[in-house]
Amino acid sequence: MSLGLAIGGAWALVAAAPLLTRVLGRRAGWLLAACLLGLTALVVSARSTGDVQAEYAWMPTIGVSLRLRLDGLSFLFALVVLVVGALVLVYSSSYVRTRTSGFFTLMTGFVAAMLLLVLADDLVVLFVAWELTTLCSYLLVLRSGSRAGAPATRVLLVTAAGGLSLLGAVAVMVVRTGTTHLTAVLEHPAWQQDPTFAGTVAVLVAFAAMTKSAQMPFHSWLPDAMVAPAPVSAYLHAAAMVKAGIFLLMLLAPGASASALWTPLLLTVGLTTSVVGGLFALQRTDLKELLAYSTVSQLGLLVAVIGVGTSGAMLAASVHVVAHALFKSAAFMSVGLIETRTGSRDIRELRGLWRAMPGDSLMLVLTAASMAALPPLLGFVSKELVLDAMLHSPAGAVTGWVTALVVTAGAVLTVAYSLRMLVTTLPGPAAQVTPWRTTVPMSLAIGTAAVGGLVLGLAVPLLDAVAAPAAAVAAGVPVADVYPLALWHGLNAALALSAVAILGGVGLTVARHRVDRVLVGRALLPFTGAQVVQRCYEGAIALGRRVGDVTRSDQPAAHLALPLAGVGAAGVLVAMLWQGVPAGSTQPLDVALLAALALGVVIVARAGSRLTSVIAVGVVGFAVVLWFLVLGASDVALTQLLVEILTVVVMVLVLRRMPPRFAPEPRRRHVGSLVISVAAGVAATLATLTFTGHRGLSQVGEFFLREAKTLTGGTNVVNTILVDFRALDTLGELVVLAIGALAVTALLDARPAAPRADVALLDSPVADPHRNALFLQVLDRALVPVMLAASLYALLRGHNAPGGGFIAALVGAAALVLAYLAAPTDAVSRLERPFLSIAGAGVVVAVGTGLLGLLDGSFLRPLHVDVLGLHLTSALLFDVGVYLAVLGVVLAAIHRLGLSPSDDARREADADADWRAVEDEEVGAR
Amino acid sequence: MTLALTVGVLVAGAAYLLQRRELLRVILGFVLLSHAVNLLLMAAGGTDRRGEPLGTDPDPLVTGDPLPQAFVLTAIVIAFAITIYLLVLAVTGSRSEAAGTVAPGDDDDPHPDDLDTDQHRTGQHQTEQYRTDDHRTVGEGSTP
Repeated sequence: MSLGLAIGGAWALVAAAPLLTRVLGRRAGWLLAACLLGLTALVVSARSTGDVQAEYAWMPTIGVSLRLRLDGLSFLFALVVLVVGALVLVYSSSYVRTRTSGFFTLMTGFVAAMLLLVLADDLVVLFVAWELTTLCSYLLVLRSGSRAGAPATRVLLVTAAGGLSLLGAVAVMVVRTGTTHLTAVLEHPAWQQDPTFAGTVAVLVAFAAMTKSAQMPFHSWLPDAMVAPAPVSAYLHAAAMVKAGIFLLMLLAPGASASALWTPLLLTVGLTTSVVGGLFALQRTDLKELLAYSTVSQLGLLVAVIGVGTSGAMLAASVHVVAHALFKSAAFMSVGLIETRTGSRDIRELRGLWRAMPGDSLMLVLTAASMAALPPLLGFVSKELVLDAMLHSPAGAVTGWVTALVVTAGAVLTVAYSLRMLVTTLPGPAAQVTPWRTTVPMSLAIGTAAVGGLVLGLAVPLLDAVAAPAAAVAAGVPVADVYPLALWHGLNAALALSAVAILGGVGLTVARHRVDRVLVGRALLPFTGAQVVQRCYEGAIALGRRVGDVTRSDQPAAHLALPLAGVGAAGVLVAMLWQGVPAGSTQPLDVALLAALALGVVIVARAGSRLTSVIAVGVVGFAVVLWFLVLGASDVALTQLLVEILTVVVMVLVLRRMPPRFAPEPRRRHVGSLVISVAAGVAATLATLTFTGHRGLSQVGEFFLREAKTLTGGTNVVNTILVDFRALDTLGELVVLAIGALAVTALLDARPAAPRADVALLDSPVADPHRNALFLQVLDRALVPVMLAASLYALLRGHNAPGGGFIAALVGAAALVLAYLAAPTDAVSRLERPFLSIAGAGVVVAVGTGLLGLLDGSFLRPLHVDVLGLHLTSALLFDVGVYLAVLGVVLAAIHRLGLSPSDDARREADADADWRAVEDEEVGAR
Repeated sequence: MTLALTVGVLVAGAAYLLQRRELLRVILGFVLLSHAVNLLLMAAGGTDRRGEPLGTDPDPLVTGDPLPQAFVLTAIVIAFAITIYLLVLAVTGSRSEAAGTVAPGDDDDPHPDDLDTDQHRTGQHQTEQYRTDDHRTVGEGSTP
């Protein structure tokens, strides 16, 4: 219960963050930090009361639910996430300059995602939270300035690639173990029995963790991400997000370590990263870049020690996670503060910080000392534990010593770059510092983290309660088997190696000028990681363009010939399934219809004039109408008839904007396409004969015929299917219609239609619009009211007799079209209807009716009421929605295509005037 | 049998038209294709039972299958909306607005969206458009 509350609270905070920042401005950081501490208290109380599990239904049909659990490991990481998060938010309340709202929202969003990640007890939830952290990180880097675009993209690409790998691992685990429940997955015997499975998951998980935790060769995104402001670097890129990879490794270690690949992979990658990262850090003069590579190096150390896998190693990893979170976030925040006050973060420029800002400098010294693993700080304890774990590696004494010596080499570099941060920047006459609004929150946050490292180092047994259970979970042993923490372990090999590291580091610092000459400004590798990612990125896009070139053509034929030829070829396949001509009655009228239709098709295909082909298509359409009628589908026939009429009207409007005749085409193109067309036609006939007509009435159809009246009260079975049985389909369709209206309008708004060709008419009564329209105007006056009444009637009776929303709307639209055609000119057309609102109202009415159905337990279930002996159903209301949507799309087409060029110009001028008016208003408002 | 032949004729006509250069012909091909598919759906309901699915107690032995009819009914209206949309596309396309066609020799053009083909338009229209753009630019510049 408490866990659900913690997650819910974190997300509620995200929702509240924009409002809080609007009211409080930067100071919202304080309130948000306080809330995070409240969540910390909640988590601690959950841990102490044993309320450590929660489950909420999410996707019950596939067994995925929002499972949460709070074991030792998640407790450790939850504390790191929440406490460091609170510190960074306090720091931000002074640091951030502009656009605070988005910043605080994304930061709290990141906290919430991270909390969900560490508490997740379901693989799907884990994956979703993992991707959320990636997304937050991307957005936080992206919003940090105009130069942040390319680095942010690289950050996203690298970390998202890791996300895909994790998705693969999740899929493999779920398929093999049959559950998404994380605890159950880890307890599954498959890990031991199936080395292929364990190996696959181990590699995929390691890859995901390596990208997230910036391991070689995927480390480049972390230095890239340094364009982000200091709080983001301190939190995401030092304490929390990069630790997500470490968390994942520790979480899945009990299972994945069964694979023989696990330990060598993690040790190799981790140790390499640790040493090379240290070298890179020693090369940098930009403090932030130095810290970024230092993070890469420290994470490498963590990955390596997790690879060892003993309870001692996991204890070392747990303590180092805490130590690193404290000293690295403090270091990043210090650099942010220094940059804010002095305007620089370059070692070569910074001098005299000690005199200028003594308190903050002291904290920087404490931080660097912890990073360098000097006693008695927490960094020293964790480094000792790491060395000890390496020496006691189960792989044997030789491997143990080799790995421990590599760690020592990395530690030498760590000491060297930590001291390098201090030796030149602190001494000297006081530096020039610019005043800044209060720096108290910044100093407070830095101080808490830095002093925390000192206190926890001196009183390290305090950490036992947190680190030991985490280590026990990750190593898969009881807590009692994890030995207790102590600052002083006596004189042993690990201490000797620590001493060597410190001496070596001091040596490198003393000889720093010589070191700088060798390292600084010299490329250790012929390329940078960022360049490699950029090259891959551009290469992928170029490859995509090359692939796309194959089909990049404006010719519809180029895209259609292949599928059509495929249809023809499918005819062969169909012939193999041939089961004889179905027993269907053929009537004389059928043959006549076929003949008329074939004639129409031939005329359409051969016609050189556009008008001829449109008329011929109309002929085909009417033949199809009759086909529907003889097949007993009167509703369908009516609909098709009306659609034919309206299609012709719209086509004529379009024809005005095209030349009267088609452009001629070369003969050889005709022959090829003729062959393909005939093949497709034969295939279609064969398919129709093979696949249809071989069985009686379908069971569904029979059910509808028998039950329609009883269940819906309607006797027009087709209509009851549309508005009742399958109303959800119809809802989808009327939404498509509304979108059609919207698309037509948007398209014509964006690109005006081609101008209408002015046809020079002879000087006759026909040429005069007023006299020409006389005949239609008379018809219009007589017919339109009748048609509108018929439309209404069709709508009302649709449930019981041919009619319904579609047909009624088409009749109504035909009436309005007639009115439009009867108008002498476009300018006085009476079609200025709000077609988009009409279409939108259709959707609203239909959805509203659907929601009404919820009263009876189900979306779109029609309600039935008897009023004064008259049976009423809400299905009629749904039909009204259909009506409005259909009307909207027809009106949109007629109105927007019907405008003549002069009207277009007038409309543009109007739009221009509107635009100006809006602008004037805006100016006035300011 | 006749219905199957009808479907075949419609598909053949549609396939032929879809391979033409002219956008209007392609659209007419689409219309024929939708007819063909609708009739195919009707064929799925069977051609031997042709009674109308109306009334209080239709006899399943002679009444047509109402389900394909319902499908076809909505399919007709959807196809109508798409036809309208295609027709609008035919008169607003970047290179075809004046001619209603795809200009020959475009197959090798790797950037079909380039706006420089606007010169196909009539001069009057082009000036109108630029005028509008100028207004907007000036408007933005004058905002503080």
